[in-house]
Amino acid sequence: MADEKKSKQRDGSMVFESMYPLLALMLILVACVDLCDAATVVDVYRLVQYDISGVPFGSRFSSLNHHAASLSFQRGADLSRSVLILPLRELDLGFLQDYISQKQSLGGLLILLPQTLRPGNIGGGSVLSETQGFRKLLAQLEKLLVHGNIPFPVYFAFENEETDAMLADVKKNDALGQQATATTGGYKLVISVSEPRKIASPTITNIQGWLPGSRAEGDSNQLPTIAIVASYDTFGAAPALSVGSDSNGSGVVALLEVARLFSTLYSNPKTRGRYNLLFALTSGGPYNYEGTQKWLKSLDQRMRESIDYAICLNSVGSWDNELLVHVSKPPDNAYIKQIFEGFSNVAEDLGFQVALKHKKINISNSRVAWEHEQFSRLRVTAATLSELPTPPELLESAGSLSDTRQLVHDDAIIKGVKLVAESLARHIYGHQRKDIKIFADDSSLAVNPFNVRSWLDLLSQTPRVAPFLSKSEPLIMALKKELEDYTAEVSVQHESLDGIFTFYDSTKASLNIYQVASVTFDLLLLLVLGSYLIVLFSFLVITTRGVDDLISLFRRPPSRKVKMV
Amino acid sequence: MTLFHFFNCAILTFGPHAVYYSATPLSEYDTLGTSVKAAVVYLATALVKLVCLATFLQVSETEVFDPYQMTKYGFQSQEALKAMIGFIDVAGLYFALAQLTHRNISQNHKFQAVGLGWAFADSVLHRLAPLWVGARGLEFTWDYVLQGLEANANLVFTISLAALGSLMWLRKNKPKTLIPIIYTCAVIIATMPSITSYLRRVMGWHFPKVVGFELMTSLVMAFISCQLFILCQRPSL
Repeated sequence: MADEKKSKQRDGSMVFESMYPLLALMLILVACVDLCDAATVVDVYRLVQYDISGVPFGSRFSSLNHHAASLSFQRGADLSRSVLILPLRELDLGFLQDYISQKQSLGGLLILLPQTLRPGNIGGGSVLSETQGFRKLLAQLEKLLVHGNIPFPVYFAFENEETDAMLADVKKNDALGQQATATTGGYKLVISVSEPRKIASPTITNIQGWLPGSRAEGDSNQLPTIAIVASYDTFGAAPALSVGSDSNGSGVVALLEVARLFSTLYSNPKTRGRYNLLFALTSGGPYNYEGTQKWLKSLDQRMRESIDYAICLNSVGSWDNELLVHVSKPPDNAYIKQIFEGFSNVAEDLGFQVALKHKKINISNSRVAWEHEQFSRLRVTAATLSELPTPPELLESAGSLSDTRQLVHDDAIIKGVKLVAESLARHIYGHQRKDIKIFADDSSLAVNPFNVRSWLDLLSQTPRVAPFLSKSEPLIMALKKELEDYTAEVSVQHESLDGIFTFYDSTKASLNIYQVASVTFDLLLLLVLGSYLIVLFSFLVITTRGVDDLISLFRRPPSRKVKMV
Repeated sequence: MTLFHFFNCAILTFGPHAVYYSATPLSEYDTLGTSVKAAVVYLATALVKLVCLATFLQVSETEVFDPYQMTKYGFQSQEALKAMIGFIDVAGLYFALAQLTHRNISQNHKFQAVGLGWAFADSVLHRLAPLWVGARGLEFTWDYVLQGLEANANLVFTISLAALGSLMWLRKNKPKTLIPIIYTCAVIIATMPSITSYLRRVMGWHFPKVVGFELMTSLVMAFISCQLFILCQRPSL
């Protein structure tokens, strides 16, 4: 009997021993179940991080693990271990400016943007008037952040119910004077991303479409070419939100529509003009039109010399009555005069005005404010059509956060398309001073508003910061395909964005918002639980053994084994 | 400080079992073996229950299983079935109390030891994994504290049920008038899981309210069981 029992026990222990690895495995598995069960996860978009010739700009950090704080804390409090949440609605720009200029430390900055500014949000007119003030403020904020060296992570997010609730809670706590720290609990904001890395060799991609004209019989001279150019990439405070509906989505849309109109005209041999048309979508616009420069230099010398003139389209989506023609040659230059007259005649017929603006090129200055200046530097006549009255500064007016779909009117783009197409057609077919409408609204050559709208919608949802676009980005493929449909020959050119800019990745992340308990609370809970267990213990001892036993437990502790938890 | 919270919740969930064992005479008579046996029986019972649930509970294949969207009749029949399966617990408890041989242990201690082992196994099986996974997260919720309180209520329920069970099955000479009351109380305690699930799903009670209800009823049931036990003990004395 005893032997049997022993052997049984041995069997049991054998079984146990064989289970150990299994048990260990299970324990490891359980420990590995790492939890990301935050109550709320919010998409956040990081402020751009870049260097210009090694000088750092933008947000220099990306990961975040701090308590939330709002602006209603007492001034002068130490915020080096908290994330400041700033809704754009209540943004105090002066405070932020001081904070950054004094180089005070901050755990992080989360800027909440109104939902109406979300790319792809196609709102009505009432929304537009409401957001007008935001846009101005946002532009100033962006200028501050983009041109500053900010030694903490800065993220943008869109307001929603959860962030509103969190903000209300945080404000309430801050107003009470309880700063969010480990001892008071509150909200903890966690973004776990790896350190931002340099983008190794950013590429810029230019897309070129070629629509050949027809030569008259017996004419062996090369045909002159007219180039229509628009830069399609953007730059903004948050690269993942930089959609640039107006700058320069509107220009791209106008170019595609002009290409479509002329492809219809040129498909018929009878209406094929004596000019070649060259359409180019260039990249690198915000960086002194580096893509345009590279594309021009890569063009065949003869081809470049055959360019009669080039029209650059830049920000043509939100003007009312006057469009500007920016040139760099003096206005009394014969070619410029001819181009401008062509535009102003057509504009007169269409019922609006164009004005000429002249800005000299300063060769010693590396800044190229307008795309046509790259042409002018290579002695090609060019002009930029734009609604912008002044030349934009470096990295500005290139797709900022406020530049969203609502700001752009389809009608403005359609008017711009008509202006360009009509004046080109009059020039090509030699009807300069005649009042004819080739692209009349109800003809087969009318501008297609649906086409304009759908392309504008697409571009308004696609962030297009060149260093973050791969060579085979869907958008680039789509643009290429569209040009292939309209022109005879399309070529795509990949160039590396060398120059002075360095970019860093991690533009988008997920923010986990945890509602955390404080250490004080945990200690208090432990105290409560401990006293509960002690009371329970005493109660049980008294009811089952009597009071004397309880007292004797404490009187002679070493003599008795007491298991206390 | 999340490990701290986990520690707190674990104390609340499993502490009372240990305290109960060490404070009552159970520790003096070394009844740990009985408790362990009861826990093993609990495991076996849980397995049988799972098999029964999987076999008999109908989950309609056409629609997603969602108790909220079930028809009233379907819900009721399913719940009734679940309650029936819940009585397997009682059978397991009977087996642990009556069939297992317990070496020289008084009836008084036996039911306590069995109830304790049973409740502890239940807590470990149902609450340890969620606690480990959940309470270590950064996010703070009251859920795990409430779950710990629920474990306390469950301990009281199980010991009460075991007491009533020992009255029903092990004590022969009990007053006739008390028998219906004993059986009624036992049925109420045995259907407690169904009652709470009914409160939660049909009445739409929230977790804190349900736990409060459980705590209250557990105290009431414990009091009643205690009185019954004392009343039954009197004639034998």
